[in-house]
Amino acid sequence: MRESNPTPPAANDSLSPRAFANKSDKKSLLQAIRMALKIQCPAVRKNTQTFNSNRYAATSALADYDQLKDQARQIKEDSIARLPELLTTLQNVVTARGGRFFCASTAQDACQYILGACKQHHARLVVKGKSITSEEIRLNHVLEGAGIEVAESDLAEFILQVADEQPSHIIAPALHYSRERITELFKRKFNTDLPLDTGEELTQFARERLREKFLHADVGITGANLVAADTGTLMLVESEGNIRMTSFLPPVHIAIAGVEKVIGARAQMAPFLELLAASGTGQKQSSYVTFISPPMHDPPFTLSGRAAEPREFHLVLIDNGRMRMRDDAVLRETLYCIRCGACLNSCANFQTVGGHAFGGETYSGGIGGAWEAGTGKLENARFSDLCTGCSRCVNQCPVRIDIPWLNENLRDRLNKAAGLSVASSMLTALTPVAEEDQHAPASKLFFGNYHFFAKWGARSSLLSNAFGDTSIARLGMQQLVGLDRHRALPAFASQTLVQAAEGVPDSETDSPIARAVLFADVFTNYGLPQRGIAALHLLRRLGVDIAVTESIPEGRAALSQGLIATAKGYARTAASLLDKFVVEGRDVIVLEPSSLAMLRRDARHLLESAEQFERLRAHAFEPIEYVARLLKQSGRDPADVFDVLLSPVGTRLFYHAHCQQKTIGAAAATETMLRELGFDVVTSAVECCGMAGSFGYKKDFYDLSMAVGEDLFAQVRAAEAGQEPRALIASGTSCTEQLHAAFERNVWHPVELLASILRV
Amino acid sequence: MKQDVAVMPDLIAIFEENAAAAAATVQRVASPASNLRQAVERAVNGAETIVLGPDEFLPSSLISALRDLPGVISQPTDQQLSTAGAGITAAFAGVASSGSVCIVIGSPLASAASLLMPLHIVLLNAARIVERPSSLFEPTCLGGEALHRDMVLITGPSATADMGPLVRGVHGPHRLHILLLE
Repeated sequence: MRESNPTPPAANDSLSPRAFANKSDKKSLLQAIRMALKIQCPAVRKNTQTFNSNRYAATSALADYDQLKDQARQIKEDSIARLPELLTTLQNVVTARGGRFFCASTAQDACQYILGACKQHHARLVVKGKSITSEEIRLNHVLEGAGIEVAESDLAEFILQVADEQPSHIIAPALHYSRERITELFKRKFNTDLPLDTGEELTQFARERLREKFLHADVGITGANLVAADTGTLMLVESEGNIRMTSFLPPVHIAIAGVEKVIGARAQMAPFLELLAASGTGQKQSSYVTFISPPMHDPPFTLSGRAAEPREFHLVLIDNGRMRMRDDAVLRETLYCIRCGACLNSCANFQTVGGHAFGGETYSGGIGGAWEAGTGKLENARFSDLCTGCSRCVNQCPVRIDIPWLNENLRDRLNKAAGLSVASSMLTALTPVAEEDQHAPASKLFFGNYHFFAKWGARSSLLSNAFGDTSIARLGMQQLVGLDRHRALPAFASQTLVQAAEGVPDSETDSPIARAVLFADVFTNYGLPQRGIAALHLLRRLGVDIAVTESIPEGRAALSQGLIATAKGYARTAASLLDKFVVEGRDVIVLEPSSLAMLRRDARHLLESAEQFERLRAHAFEPIEYVARLLKQSGRDPADVFDVLLSPVGTRLFYHAHCQQKTIGAAAATETMLRELGFDVVTSAVECCGMAGSFGYKKDFYDLSMAVGEDLFAQVRAAEAGQEPRALIASGTSCTEQLHAAFERNVWHPVELLASILRV
Repeated sequence: MKQDVAVMPDLIAIFEENAAAAAATVQRVASPASNLRQAVERAVNGAETIVLGPDEFLPSSLISALRDLPGVISQPTDQQLSTAGAGITAAFAGVASSGSVCIVIGSPLASAASLLMPLHIVLLNAARIVERPSSLFEPTCLGGEALHRDMVLITGPSATADMGPLVRGVHGPHRLHILLLE
């Protein structure tokens, strides 16, 4: 294993996470990553991975999970479309019931209104349920500034209040704290000798303090998960009971929510019940789901000697940029978010550093950048650079938000907002980027146009590989484009796939079972042509009439760097090339899963013709997926075609599928095929290897990439513990590099393995 | 000709299984008219002060029979509510797929009796168990009342994982005991 980067100076561990909560400058982001890797990683990893596996179990137990997602998405789309009308209805309903309604344009308006309501009641103590929206508007700061005591009653928020930290997760805001660190924090801050060494003791300690606050609070402030316009019903989801107490015990209840929480009707809350619980904590239901249309009419609690006045209710809805997001074709999707946290828990980077690094002052994770940009400044979304586009969150989002696409757009906007660096100008002079993208940072231009350098590299492979391996050249690459000096770019092959394919004999049959082309994606063509050659051999032996296309970029690399105009150009050119073959009756075989994902998923945003996208999506295949399909169609048993005993690497395998390959459903076929053939296969259970295309090559993210990779490496080591090593099999180019970096062993593509075990 | 009848799942058994999985305890009470009082007496487990919620959703005679149980406070003060040992409420519904009970709140004592005491005892008429949470929002389900009543869907005792390990019993009840009236 390579040694890790020396820790740069100036990472002050005693700094509060608040010190770099705002990541509008990149230094804060890098500082936060170092802090998180050093201090928070074990607790974050354990807690997010528990949520993650519980969610997989809970959603797979929902027989109509996909229909629920469709319903939820539809309800959110309709509600956001009708939002102005729904707000008017809701205002009338709440007012008619005797409540007060206020729609605040800005965070400041919201805080001033709430402060006014508190002052009117001479409030000295406010008790709060968990509300991330109240963090967004910095409500506590305003109330405390006016001399009002604010008691956070959700235990996670209680911890954060004691520690003075921002939330690190949208549903479990103190998820970065281990039990041990909470014990240490409480003993220090409360200066107590009480035994606080178990979860029970800590919980009881907090409960006793907070019960007093509930009973004596003048005002209770909660958030709301959903608000129904037709009845004024709030849906409040929680597990501790503190939100129920906050809304029930004090005589004044103030509920605050972003305007996007409003849906048309109470009956429409139905699909969200199971969906939110399953997607969030992986439960069937949280302990308490309250549906109330306040003001409530039961007599208020008067324990603290208050007069028994009627209850008072305020619904404070917050715009704070949301109406602008509604008018933004890309950011509008963010408003469908129901804040379940699934995109955080399913993200390999988030699992490793959590929301103090992968997050801003309020919001974190994959969806967090869009929230921070929408409710604040674009620059506040810089942490969304930690979204690698691995796409593992995409199928997990209960309202089907394409989160990587949001982040690619944020990156695009940040690129444009950034000035032109010297390195960028040199690179734009060299590379064919769209005019709109010329302001992007050098590193993004380099990785976004990797094909360009690969092409030149391959033309003089001896020279460029030798050059690329000298340490001075590496330092130069690190300076100029941000390539980490510990990383080797895939060596440029002396012969590209397109060149080498000329020597591969054609299929011998006159009546092919299928006709196809092998797309010479840039990664395979210049870096790993032997994989393409193996695919050609294999498919021709199976009777497929297959030729290799020319090698052109399909836009994946440019998209991942947020060079959207450039990506559009590449995607459209590649799509029209490939579409001609499809129209002729040929399928398109793609080795690099991220290139395949571009054709099957991302291109929907980039192509002009939806029909062309659908055609390509239906005819683009991962090679093993294609082989399995052909064998099934012709009724052939894989074991009649392949002989496991011919395997040059033995029968014990460790298979790691590529993140995007899993998202587009092109991974299971490989695993099934290998098992059916009699291989002993252990598969990785990680969401992503940490390399994620170009992410792990960048010097800023090398340590994080290796920390993410460590999860995968540990699984390989566990699978081999006390036994002979397993052959490492991976479908992605960057996963191959990541595994190779850790184990320094050859990593096979499944197609190479299958081509080598064809029966004669 | 014999018609194929859709087999109704055994909602009661499913409810019991899921409620137990959510860390509630469930006990069936056959012939509640004669057995409920004794079952409740056992369930309160020696609690010295007991708060009884409103008598909606169950025959009022059943609730009336509990009013003179030792420890039941007839007109609790707020001070008594905040220190009582057990709360008893009738359920509007049960939900089989999640093992939840649905308590209608808003009338005096319903919120308090289902929230403030360490032990919450729920009296659930087995005929009011529906299939899944979303069933409650169907207009024909239990008279469509879930579409306009203030209510809380309760699944197990209050819980948290914020302090590290899962802890049951946070701000709300530490124990949820469901008496299933057949």
